[in-house]
Amino acid sequence: MNTAGPQTDSSAASAGAKRHLRLIIRCTCLVAAVLCLLPVLPKGSLMRYVPAASAFVAISSLLATKTFQPITALGFITALLTLLRHRWFCRWICPVGLCMDGVSCLGRRLKRKPSQEIQFGRLLVALTLGGAVLGYPLFLYTDPLALFSGIFLAATQATVLLSWISALLFAVLLIAGVLWPNLWCGRVCPLGAFQDLISMLSRYVRSLFATKTKRPAETSPGYRIARRTALGMVVGAGCAAAARRIGSKRTPALRPPGAIEETTFVALCTRCGNCMRACPHSIIERDLGENGWAGILTPVLSFENDYCREDCTQCTEVCPSGAIIRVLPDEKPNIRIGLPRVDMDICLLSEDRECSACMRWCPYDAIRYIFSEATYSLTPVVNPDRCNGCGACQTACPTKPVKAIRIAASLRT
Amino acid sequence: MNDRITRRDYLRMLGISGLAIGTGSFDPSRALARGVGESGGFQSSVIARDKVQPNRANPVLIDGEVIQPQRKLQVFAETDVLVVGGGSAGIVAAIAAKRAGAKVTVVERYGHFGGLWTGGLVLVILGHIVKGPKQVCQGIGEEIMRRLDKMDGAIINRRTGSNPTVDAEAVKYLMVEMIEQENIDVFLHCWGVDAIMQDGAVKGAVFESKSGRQAILAKVVIDATGDGDIFAAAGAEFEHRSHNIGLVSRVGNLDKIDKSKAPPDAKPKHLGSATPVKGVNWVNLRGPMVDGLDVATLTRMEMNHRKFIWNNIRKTRSIPGYERLYLVETAPQLGVRITRVLDGLNTVRLDHLKNATKFPDVIGVGGASNAEHGEWQIPYGALVPEKIDNVLAAGRCISAELRMADLVRLIPNCFVTGHAAGVAAAVAVRDRCSPRDADVSKIQKILRQQEAYLG
Repeated sequence: MNTAGPQTDSSAASAGAKRHLRLIIRCTCLVAAVLCLLPVLPKGSLMRYVPAASAFVAISSLLATKTFQPITALGFITALLTLLRHRWFCRWICPVGLCMDGVSCLGRRLKRKPSQEIQFGRLLVALTLGGAVLGYPLFLYTDPLALFSGIFLAATQATVLLSWISALLFAVLLIAGVLWPNLWCGRVCPLGAFQDLISMLSRYVRSLFATKTKRPAETSPGYRIARRTALGMVVGAGCAAAARRIGSKRTPALRPPGAIEETTFVALCTRCGNCMRACPHSIIERDLGENGWAGILTPVLSFENDYCREDCTQCTEVCPSGAIIRVLPDEKPNIRIGLPRVDMDICLLSEDRECSACMRWCPYDAIRYIFSEATYSLTPVVNPDRCNGCGACQTACPTKPVKAIRIAASLRT
Repeated sequence: MNDRITRRDYLRMLGISGLAIGTGSFDPSRALARGVGESGGFQSSVIARDKVQPNRANPVLIDGEVIQPQRKLQVFAETDVLVVGGGSAGIVAAIAAKRAGAKVTVVERYGHFGGLWTGGLVLVILGHIVKGPKQVCQGIGEEIMRRLDKMDGAIINRRTGSNPTVDAEAVKYLMVEMIEQENIDVFLHCWGVDAIMQDGAVKGAVFESKSGRQAILAKVVIDATGDGDIFAAAGAEFEHRSHNIGLVSRVGNLDKIDKSKAPPDAKPKHLGSATPVKGVNWVNLRGPMVDGLDVATLTRMEMNHRKFIWNNIRKTRSIPGYERLYLVETAPQLGVRITRVLDGLNTVRLDHLKNATKFPDVIGVGGASNAEHGEWQIPYGALVPEKIDNVLAAGRCISAELRMADLVRLIPNCFVTGHAAGVAAAVAVRDRCSPRDADVSKIQKILRQQEAYLG
């Protein structure tokens, strides 16, 4: 008894110290993430690392694109460390986790009971991974780090109403965190569930190869989880196949240069908003469903106020999932975004007006005005071999309210 | 017989003709003319009788080649600043140089001032505003527009941010008024054809008119010909470009058209836009991209366009409701947009517009055709040839890269470069230096005094 007292004290003290240390590290991580995402630092330099830290995004990207994107290396490191220590990311790093813990404390003080719902998160992960195998990671956009990154779009594009949508969703999550403490982190968050899966499955696999102990019974939790995950993945793959089938009829949309094939793109895009924030001319906007509901909140280009610069590849450097793959400045002129179409009903040339805006502003010298003896007027003609659809002509076109020359999206393969 | 001339004969002839001109300063036919004019009746219209053209030095055919003999030209006038071309750049240059204290002479190819603005019927003032909207064409250009405001039926759409349209006759009249007010010497119907050179510097220009081939000596020549005829003749380097050549026309009775009678699918084209004259539109024409320095091309354009314009009116008149439409006129001048462009000390570039580049030697600010972009500064170096001295370019032929030529050639931007060239020439004359060495800060100071906008 005499010796027990000090021992308990010291262990309690060390636990307290560890708690403080963890709080300090978590707060530091939150501040660091916010600093990376805010437009105070040079654009594109650090923001890529926040959503790229997600192991869920990294593995889904690998499955969906069947290629390794260098940016996903961070996520793979997170995944590997999870094998050693369960949910270490949630406990030490995750900025969303810290925010959720904060509001959960508040909820517990308001005497809200922790939720005991089913494991949504594992279902999301299984379906997404299953879909990813067919190039359609169904619920990748539910990744918490992507959502967290999306909040800061409001900081760079405060005047665009749609840029507040991630912030709004996050606010809803926080309120839900007050009402049902621990709901998000414990039961919904796919990144958390993914870490659960990794450690459970690894434990299960390790037990399969363990010779000392008996092989696990078919009723063991590891077995059940492996079975459920496999089943979920099959269902996910089925849903993905269906989604792809519907998606194959989709009209192409104006995506940032380097965007992968459209159907995979809309699923692989995490909606983190990195590309929109990286764009120095703010021409990337959130899709409001104009290109099909599957692509809602994904990035689309708008050339009304500015165009995609011939030497700029910033949006291609920040995509955490490989939905937009890295483009080198030399390749930029050959990356097709779309092709201009001229509406001769409103083009000033059809009225014999003195306009040469599209020809002047085309950075690739792709537009010529051809004189027709029949109509005795000029028509802008685009050379598709030179044009990459950068939108400079559309930006320059003086007709109002609709531009006479507009970029029509091209099919990407 | 005598039609075969040997080289020796030819050289002898050159000597004789030179002599003839040398002694030919007294012309007996003129004295006779005075005497004849005093008599009455039909006789009073006879200026000279049994007259032989004096000072002849006919080109001769030698070994199948036409050779122009050397001959002495009559010096018609001596001046400080000679402006060749009385278009929108030339007239503004002349007024600016005169106000800056120089003696100014203008020679103009046609019988009116205003060049393509009036003779070409390019009636819309395009390019004086930038994004904002803000008007960047100030100084004498703005003064012209203000004076048009005060005239009856001279200008419409004079609002901030819109492009006004003028009446060509009003502008022609106003330019006569302004030239007379400034007391500037002018010679119409004079086609500047050559530069007078001495030691790599221009000393004046030669022009052709009904009075024959004559010379005007000047300390500085401003090439406001649009085609860069003078700097090209002087040996300055230039770029030769093709551009759309059209022919503008005016159509009338648009107020007597009843569109309701026309079938819904009838879409009459080439009916243009409004002018200060009620019911009359000016109709632009872009035309094919051809060489405006090739006389065969110019002839073909003139004839093709004329046929098209007449036939288009005839076709449009056949649409019910459009019967009373008629062709008022075609422009006296063919719509040549760009031909020669100077290789200047500096060049107007699109990158300068994109980056809003500021030049220490800025002499003017150009605008956008529809206020769709910002202002672009014009450096003094864009008016100065790389090598040849005593000549300045003004108007559409100043040094500009291809993409910018379409902005440089707009009328207000011609006002701006004309204004700068006029002031620069006057400064060079006053300081007895070549325009190349003129003090740019002085030019800028005078331009500001003359209310020009320099950014």
